[in-house]
Amino acid sequence: MVGQPTNHEKSPCMSVSKNITLQSTLNAGRVIRVVLGVLVSAYLTWRLIDVIVIERTYGPDTWLKFAISGLILGGLYALIAIGYTLVYGILSMINFAHGEVMMLGCFGGYFVFEALNAIPAPSATDPKLNFLNAPPVLSVILAFLVGMSVSALAGYFLEKIAYRPLRIAPRLIPLISAIGSSIFLQNAGEVMFGPQRRSYTNPVLFSRGAGWTIDVAGNPVVITYTGVLTFILSIILMIGLYTLVQRTKLGRSMRAVAHDKRTAALMGIDVNDVISKTFIISGALAGAAGVMFGIHLGIVYYYVGFLPGIKAFTAAVFGGIGNIPGAMVGGLLLGSIESLGPAALNIDFQLKDVIAFAILILVLLFRPSGLLGQVLSEEKV
Amino acid sequence: MKTRSLLYVIMLATIVLASCAPAATAPAACTSDPAGCAKIPAGQTIRIGMGAPMTGDNAQFGIDISQGAKIAVTDAGNLQGWKFELVTQDDGGTGEGGAAVANKLVADPTVVAIEGHIFSGATAAAIPIYEKAMIPMLSPSATNPDLTKPDPKTGVVNKVFNRIPFTDAQQGKFAAQYLASKLNVKKLAILHDGQAYGKGLAEVVQSTFSSLGTVTSFDAITPAESDYTAVLSKVAANKPDAIFYGGYVAEAVVLVNELKQTGLTNTIFFGDDGTFGADFITRTGANGEGAYATALIAPSSPAKDKFDAAYLAAYGKPAGTLSPYTWNAYDAAAALISVVKAVAIKGDDGSLYVPRTAMVNGVRRLSNYQGISGVFTCDANGECNSSGPVFFMVQNGKWVEAPK
Repeated sequence: MVGQPTNHEKSPCMSVSKNITLQSTLNAGRVIRVVLGVLVSAYLTWRLIDVIVIERTYGPDTWLKFAISGLILGGLYALIAIGYTLVYGILSMINFAHGEVMMLGCFGGYFVFEALNAIPAPSATDPKLNFLNAPPVLSVILAFLVGMSVSALAGYFLEKIAYRPLRIAPRLIPLISAIGSSIFLQNAGEVMFGPQRRSYTNPVLFSRGAGWTIDVAGNPVVITYTGVLTFILSIILMIGLYTLVQRTKLGRSMRAVAHDKRTAALMGIDVNDVISKTFIISGALAGAAGVMFGIHLGIVYYYVGFLPGIKAFTAAVFGGIGNIPGAMVGGLLLGSIESLGPAALNIDFQLKDVIAFAILILVLLFRPSGLLGQVLSEEKV
Repeated sequence: MKTRSLLYVIMLATIVLASCAPAATAPAACTSDPAGCAKIPAGQTIRIGMGAPMTGDNAQFGIDISQGAKIAVTDAGNLQGWKFELVTQDDGGTGEGGAAVANKLVADPTVVAIEGHIFSGATAAAIPIYEKAMIPMLSPSATNPDLTKPDPKTGVVNKVFNRIPFTDAQQGKFAAQYLASKLNVKKLAILHDGQAYGKGLAEVVQSTFSSLGTVTSFDAITPAESDYTAVLSKVAANKPDAIFYGGYVAEAVVLVNELKQTGLTNTIFFGDDGTFGADFITRTGANGEGAYATALIAPSSPAKDKFDAAYLAAYGKPAGTLSPYTWNAYDAAAALISVVKAVAIKGDDGSLYVPRTAMVNGVRRLSNYQGISGVFTCDANGECNSSGPVFFMVQNGKWVEAPK
């Protein structure tokens, strides 16, 4: 990094002092960063010890509840973050419209449940049964299929219309197009579906809030059915995606295109096809996250994808953008920090986003490529 | 040279003669009024503006109040041939929206008064703008106490803002007392959404309840989120008997739906006038049973029955279901119209003139005005409260008056 010093120097001696001044500035910066890091870590550790060991503000049952909230939300962030990471790896651009792709999947699942709810399927035991509850598992599977397909299609068309024509443009242009697509989809959602919030009608078997009650240190902790469904499904999808990327031919093509587009094309890979398929896969994952969001949290409206989209993007950067296990780890960690952070540090819950983003900044100060990210090669940068 | 100076003299004479045109068309009251007059030419309507959340999560308030006000406008008939018109603008219930709407309405010269705004946050941002333009406000629903307090910088109360409903200082006090005495709540957890209305109310409840019981926690939530299980888990750790929530229905619904899974099954949910309404019941379903909220109930009278019938006929829903302020909406509009009728002057040129300072004073000096929601008299600060808060609870999917 000892290149041409461009900043002014105060020493009367010329080139030698220039290099020394630059080097010492860098060293000073490094020292400050280390000192800052040590101070902040010490403070955080002290607060953690204070809350957990000394004051015992919360019992183990409350910590378990925090952990459960955090992991479920983290799983959702992880799925959406994978979408961001996949697209970044292949195209080196951030797909800001990814949150809206999730929103569309959320609506897809909503309409499936509403439609099934309206179809009567009376049985011998229950004359008021409808199709939603007659085979509840099938209804849920159907909702997921439709939600994931809607999002996959949305991702495919997004790429085709908004990103492909700008493939050769400077890097800023597709970014602006992404932001524009995001705003377009939000407003299209508002016009199509109305501004009011809608509630997911879950099958009775999976109604929100119902779950197993376990006893922890004398207090009941509820583990909701929808929460378990969400978490397990997130893990399954993440494992599925990892297997796809590592073990299949398509995955190999994706990795090749991510590594070097031109050489991959020379090796006979249809780059456009691989890119489309990447968008379809990332869209499908976002759609699954959207349907889970609806089933577990119950709220769907045109703006529902905005905040999870931003958080998931943060999670992807946190774990190392372009790195798939990084996105998973980043998502789970971010969700956990949001839930456990305010309690562990005895800070107001209103500041949970502040805590999450502050930790992001701290991590990036010391590991700019993210937790699991490798230092990017020159070409990528 | 001579022709040119003659030309100048002729031009000068023309200008002087032109300026001495026939007598000014504005009535004397307008020239003596420091803020001038609103001029409504023949054929145009006398406009009453309103800033309300008309779309989004809290749209039920804006829609309900504007509908109640429209009935008053229809009932008002016309004033010497000029009709009244309610101009509703969507301010989203936020400060930025309130300021934007205020600027828009102030630019319209035929707007003589404002019914609003509806949400306290939007109202606070709008008051300085209306104060500068001297347009009176009469809000049916903005309850934050600071709105009628003196400006911290000047020490003077604003001249234009008046309101009919109770303030949050009263609502909070009565709520805390109700919780302690009627519901026997010893441990209360307080949540709010961090905004002007919710936080203000929560703080009043906190200060009143501290002497009647224990406040186990005081937390803020971030609005517009879908998952509050972490905060609720923290609240549950202290095992409160009840939760008081200061804020609006959008977040209240999410909180109520997540009470069971965070271990707050038997905790009473006590909301405020922002969580009352049909929307709360539809979106919480069975989870909302036993929740409380604040509303106003107008005393029975022939005028109320007439209004209820008119509202039902025009809009298909009974008054007071979408929001607690339907009757206040009618009263505020009708009161403003009565002041306009008292101060408006028909000018010689066929236009209607409404002196602005006279309007502002007229609204501030409303005295013994017979409204549907009660009789109100405005004091020097603009408080015209006609009735105190009444508590409602959800029973069998309906809002019913809670036992007194």
